[in-house]
Amino acid sequence: MRNTWLVIRREYLERVRSKGFIISTILLPAFVFGITVLPSKLMMMKSGGSFHMVVVASSAPVADAVKEQLESPDSDRKYRVDEKITDNSQDRQELDASVKAKQIDGYLWLTNQAIADNKAEFVALSTSDFGQNENVRTAANKGVTRVRLMQHGIAAGDVDTLVKPVNIETLSLAGKKSGGEVARFFACFLVAMMIYISLIMYGMSVMRSVLDEKTSRVMEVLLASIKPKELMAGKLFGVGAVGLTQVAIWAIFMAYLGIGAAASPQIRELFSGQPLLFIFLPVFFVLGFMLYSSMYAALGATVNSEQEAQQWQWFVTMPLIVPIILVSKVIATPDSGLSVWLSMVPFFAPILMYVRVVASTPPWWQIGLSIALMLVTTYFIVLVASRIYRVGILMYGKRPTLPEIVKWLKYA
Amino acid sequence: MATTLELRNVSKSYDKFVAVDNLSFAIEKGSVFGLLGPNGAGKTSSLRMMIGITMPDTGQVMVFGENFRREHLQRIGYLPEERGLYKKMKLIDQVIFLAQLKGVSEPEARSRAMKWFDRLQLTAWINKKTEELSKGMQQKVQFIAGILHDPEFLILDEPFSGLDPANADELKNILIEQRKAGKTILFSTHRMDQVEKLCDSICLIDHGRAVLQGELREVKSRFGRNHVQIEYEGDGDFLQTAPAVQSFHNFGNYTEVELKPGADAQELLKAVTARARVNRFEIAEPSLEKIFIDTVNNKQQNEKVQHA
Repeated sequence: MRNTWLVIRREYLERVRSKGFIISTILLPAFVFGITVLPSKLMMMKSGGSFHMVVVASSAPVADAVKEQLESPDSDRKYRVDEKITDNSQDRQELDASVKAKQIDGYLWLTNQAIADNKAEFVALSTSDFGQNENVRTAANKGVTRVRLMQHGIAAGDVDTLVKPVNIETLSLAGKKSGGEVARFFACFLVAMMIYISLIMYGMSVMRSVLDEKTSRVMEVLLASIKPKELMAGKLFGVGAVGLTQVAIWAIFMAYLGIGAAASPQIRELFSGQPLLFIFLPVFFVLGFMLYSSMYAALGATVNSEQEAQQWQWFVTMPLIVPIILVSKVIATPDSGLSVWLSMVPFFAPILMYVRVVASTPPWWQIGLSIALMLVTTYFIVLVASRIYRVGILMYGKRPTLPEIVKWLKYA
Repeated sequence: MATTLELRNVSKSYDKFVAVDNLSFAIEKGSVFGLLGPNGAGKTSSLRMMIGITMPDTGQVMVFGENFRREHLQRIGYLPEERGLYKKMKLIDQVIFLAQLKGVSEPEARSRAMKWFDRLQLTAWINKKTEELSKGMQQKVQFIAGILHDPEFLILDEPFSGLDPANADELKNILIEQRKAGKTILFSTHRMDQVEKLCDSICLIDHGRAVLQGELREVKSRFGRNHVQIEYEGDGDFLQTAPAVQSFHNFGNYTEVELKPGADAQELLKAVTARARVNRFEIAEPSLEKIFIDTVNNKQQNEKVQHA
């Protein structure tokens, strides 16, 4: 016990004091935030300036109606709309040319003929901005509908009432998780990525540290004082404690986002009033860490160099990548049968069950069952890993084959 | 006399490879014991069983007069052949950590470490990391790590490798001090000169078996005073075929010949002076080096001599 404690202390202090720890604590959330939230934010707030476009219609009322829609202050983008009343398709070339010359950002071809042929077109330099396309489509539809209704003799004031859309707010069962769908998706994705990256990062850190002790032959010195089992336990707990420290810092940071004014209202809404979210982050991290890092430790013990380790680590990393591939599906339908069963698989649960906790309100028995399954699996994995570890750390030279590793399991 | 370590018919195999084969020897308390043998003879495998890294398949390892228990490890110091230190850890933290694993308290380990670092002229380096050190310095730190818990029994695998003559001499003095203080020392080495200077007893193993063992003096006398060491300038090739010579080894600086039974050394001296300028001519017991080579009778003799 004393020896294990000494190893834990060494691993913890050596790591927490290192620059790498401080840097990764700050950079990882920034990085994950960067790859998940930022692109969508950027898409949403298109360069700040207004979008200069031309609406081409056969009659002024249609153009007016569309212009009015686009320029309405409710819109999330700013538009500067010019009208052009024409039916002549020759004019399109002229417009194409001005788009190309960047005199205008785009135009909407909405002549009566085009509407009748179902061939209304929005032409712009860049058409990958989904929000933009959606805005133009909505504006065109509303504008045309408005004109049609008025042509049928409905008063302008009545038209507004008639076409007013119904706002639907999405609430999960517990009624606590409202907020934008997009924000919810990205928040779930963000926490999934954070668990995923930290599991890989700390798993590999365990592997590298085993490998380092092996190649530097400190192992030989350590084993003259300490049992392999104590050493491995110390390493797992020590590195795990470092990871937990980091995850705790992130959890506090997230809690701050939840209550603080730093975040956008959507994110704030999502993170606030959800103590479970912060409690389960360390819980699932610890469970996932124990499961994966014991496999990484065994891997580190069987190889002789970093290169060899890289060749074989897919073996351990694979089951971690699967849930990341599936995560968007689970976020979209957190309570579907598929999601429930996937989140029960012990190797996926650290990511997928946690995502379900964030995205939805899974029943307690499901959370409990997935944790129980993880514990049982971890127990067996640790048992097997410690046997491989015990033999592997003393083996130098040729990398053992799988049958040889299986044979190690039988050694007393 | 109490024995510090005793191997009784110890064998250890890895799959089909027999690393140690029915090996028995005993080391008396307070003595210096040399475990010799060519590369791959089973030295490291034997050492590992003495410190419980591996267990013998058959036979017994007795330490301090008892069956080996892990508790004994706190009284044993081990210096592995390959440097084993954390590359990125500060020296002082490193040796304290290793001493703590041996049951020494942190403040005690720190104060002892400061004394040792001072003695081995490493005080300026205590806050440096291992990777910043030269090999010789690392070897010294490794030695400190092995001895910081003041063990009664020191197991040193090639302790002199990588040390310059001054440091090797310092290490030798420390070992002599330790011995005077009643500590038992086992070292395994290829450096026969160090063995001759330090060891009371030796065991030479080859292919996992003991091929020669006993008190150093007794072992040497077994081979009789029929050896001549000659230092000369000039061509000495004729010695190989000289009638009085049984066997011949050129060690570079000097040549050692074994006389045929009944041959007269004086005749040989005359023959040599006739052809070369003799600086030294000494009738002696065979050197341990010679004994080693003859006993192991290895094909790679010459390579070994160069290493020695």
